[in-house]
Amino acid sequence: MFKLLDGPQTLGRGKIFWSCFLAVLAGALIYPLFADSYDVGNFAYFLIWIFMALGLCLMWGYGGMLSFGQTFFFGIAGYGYGVLAINMGGGTATIAALILSVVIAMIAAGILGYFMIWGGISGIFFGIVTLSATLVLAFFLGQTAGPEWHIGPARLNGFNGMKGMDPLTVGSFDIEGSALYYLMIALIVIVYVALRILVNSSVGNVIVATRENPQRAEMLGYDVRKYQLLTFVIGSGLAGLSGALYTSWGQFITPSSIGLPAAAMPIVWVAFSGRNDLTATLVGSFLLLFGFQTITVYSQQAALVLMGVLLLATVMLAPQGFVLGIGRLVVDWWSRRRRRDEAPALADAGRLQSDET
Amino acid sequence: MALVDVKGVSKRFGGLTAVSDVDLTVNAGEVHCLIGPNGAGKSTLFKLIVGLYPPTTGSIFFDTVDITAERPYARVQRGMSIKMQAPSVFKELPVRQNIQIALQERLSGAECRAEEERLLALLNLADDSGKLAGALSHGQQQWLEIGMALALQPQLLLLDEPTAGMSPEETYKTGELIKSFNAEGMTVLVVEHDMAFVRQVAQRVTVLHLGKIFARGSLEAILEDEKVAEIYLGKTHAH
Amino acid sequence: MSAELFSLFYQFADVFAFLILSAAGLAIVFGMMGVINMAHGEFIMCGAYVTVGLVNLGVPLPIAQILATLTAGIIGMIVEYLIVRRFYKRPLDSLLATWGLSLIVTQSMLLIVGSAVRGIGTPEGSFAIGGYTFSTYRLVLFGCAVAVLAGLYIIFMKTRFGVIARATMQNAAMAKALGARTGRIYSISFGIGTALAGLCGALYAPTMTLIPTMGATFVVESFVTVVIGGANVLLGTAPAAVFLAMIRMALNAGYGQIIGQIGMLFAVILIIRVLPEGLSSVLVRRGR
Repeated sequence: MFKLLDGPQTLGRGKIFWSCFLAVLAGALIYPLFADSYDVGNFAYFLIWIFMALGLCLMWGYGGMLSFGQTFFFGIAGYGYGVLAINMGGGTATIAALILSVVIAMIAAGILGYFMIWGGISGIFFGIVTLSATLVLAFFLGQTAGPEWHIGPARLNGFNGMKGMDPLTVGSFDIEGSALYYLMIALIVIVYVALRILVNSSVGNVIVATRENPQRAEMLGYDVRKYQLLTFVIGSGLAGLSGALYTSWGQFITPSSIGLPAAAMPIVWVAFSGRNDLTATLVGSFLLLFGFQTITVYSQQAALVLMGVLLLATVMLAPQGFVLGIGRLVVDWWSRRRRRDEAPALADAGRLQSDET
Repeated sequence: MALVDVKGVSKRFGGLTAVSDVDLTVNAGEVHCLIGPNGAGKSTLFKLIVGLYPPTTGSIFFDTVDITAERPYARVQRGMSIKMQAPSVFKELPVRQNIQIALQERLSGAECRAEEERLLALLNLADDSGKLAGALSHGQQQWLEIGMALALQPQLLLLDEPTAGMSPEETYKTGELIKSFNAEGMTVLVVEHDMAFVRQVAQRVTVLHLGKIFARGSLEAILEDEKVAEIYLGKTHAH
Repeated sequence: MSAELFSLFYQFADVFAFLILSAAGLAIVFGMMGVINMAHGEFIMCGAYVTVGLVNLGVPLPIAQILATLTAGIIGMIVEYLIVRRFYKRPLDSLLATWGLSLIVTQSMLLIVGSAVRGIGTPEGSFAIGGYTFSTYRLVLFGCAVAVLAGLYIIFMKTRFGVIARATMQNAAMAKALGARTGRIYSISFGIGTALAGLCGALYAPTMTLIPTMGATFVVESFVTVVIGGANVLLGTAPAAVFLAMIRMALNAGYGQIIGQIGMLFAVILIIRVLPEGLSSVLVRRGR
């Protein structure tokens, strides 16, 4: 288990890394004690999007599948949560609505993924087919303003979006404010750790092997299509989780969180952060969301222009991602210093390698 | 007993017939060499056997089962394994992980690690096990790919020009390696240009020319055959 | 009866023109360089805005449309020179770079120009056959789509540039070795691609509301046409457009625009499962 956490597929290993991790986690846990509840709510809001970024990182960075459809699954689960929560009534049923809506997104991913992967779609076309599906969903939802568009009592409501669903609730306790914040932190830790274990496991080995050379992976006896589908379903399911949490957080969802420019956002976060590493994506996405939110208060357009500039700059200057690039520099510098300080025997330690691994 | 039976297989690409009505039998336990001039259809035949292309006509049997319609991974699971002509490894992954990916279905835990070490030592890659596979020399990448093919412990090992880019010394060592695996019961089918290497390992030889079987027989018989010498061995053939 | 037939043709022509005009530029850039220009929609938007701007200044519509097409072509060549050129070996990165550009352009336009611009209205003119009334301008659009295909046929099959361009498409390294200036070919091809996008915007500008995000209205159609058409504009995009137009027409008539679009998407997803290499691969193979 611990081996898998610290395996070769993830940058950032050993005692020092995990000490930092725990320190940040501790900081995050005591944060609500110092901050006012408005800020805590905002923080919870950024954290909602992290799942979508981690899912894209898994598909794109590890699996080599550039999906532009994160907001498609975000939207399916987001609307799914709304429809289910309204139809099943509030209370604890909202938890079921959350889980079911993520499952629905994963089923949708399974179907779309089956047709694309078994049809041999990869590279650029994978991106534009997923984006086409996303835009069509956004257009479709945009024209559902009429009263005939409803599922049970849940009105889709066109561009104005669906509203009136209950937030996540256990019994009569609404999960809002700091409770929602702690739920987010817990989910992020679970998802992050689970993804680390996944990519460092033997399944993860096949996922990266498929990215590197699908033909060779198949020649080692792996049905690479199944691994790609698995990756796509997990990655898209995480987008779905973001979507369901988003709807529950704000008690509304509109088609604009699916179409352009929303569909480009996960790409910007992950490209800027460094698609090849989960930790870089986690940190980078959080920073970008924070920055974006700060600027959006003044001008949403300006914030989006900045995102475009960052995407262009990343591709032109640091195709592997800025956060990952800086992370590698720090790690190299650290291990060089350590090598100098300690013994030449550590010469091949490479990265932040702990003593027991 | 025939381990691989290729029956009347043809492959056309548009107007080009790369392989034309080929019958080929590889018996269990032999080292079989496939030779022929460039463009004779050797690599295409390999790709047909392993399932990278579907044949235009004909069928392919492995261990008496018709595998013509099976996907490559299913054929590999049946017990074949291939090293392609151009080195095909996971370039951005470390050497050790390349081997691990090949081994992990068969072994796990400490056994897997022990086998990893054994293969790395066997392939002279132990010192480079932390390097990215793409950073290895061409010859080393060939070794690595052979190692990955071996890690599956196949019944049938297909090697497409395994010694390209190797020094004569390394070529000789590769030959001895193949013979040692054959001695343990592995069937080997090799495409090779280097005649010294063919002489070193081959028990039976099939000559392909212009997509058709031109001659077949024991190593000695083929070496004696003057028509074969004409089309292929020609001037390079010297005793 | 003939009026009903003409009405069917009219509906087909309308969708076909939309598909060809919105996809042709994207398909050329993809076919020549393997690059999907994510800013394609923004070049369409550029064509539309320049047209409307010039018409509001008093320039006659057809001249404004020509000028808008040229403007988009020139801007395209500048973008090729500054950005796209660096990514010919990394098609996925070119996708991201042009997407970044697209974001920058749309959002800057929203900041600078604001959301609505005074439109110019569809050119008058209609005619009636039987009990049906048809807009003349829609038929002009169909004529333009056919003219674009004919023009591309002439450029790529009958001119010296076309011969070199096709050679570059087949094997860039070899064409270069034989003395073709592949850099210039790419630059011109990209320019033609964006000019066609500009033309699309210019032609549709009178028929729609201008907003900076209008490019998105076109990209789905252009994407799916290129996805099932494959890399060949003449043998892929055109038949793909015919095929998709049939589906669209049938669904639009019965169920409305949005269901037509959804149906088209489903058709595309089914087709890629059945014909992974796109329609053009089938047609090219048959042609041999």
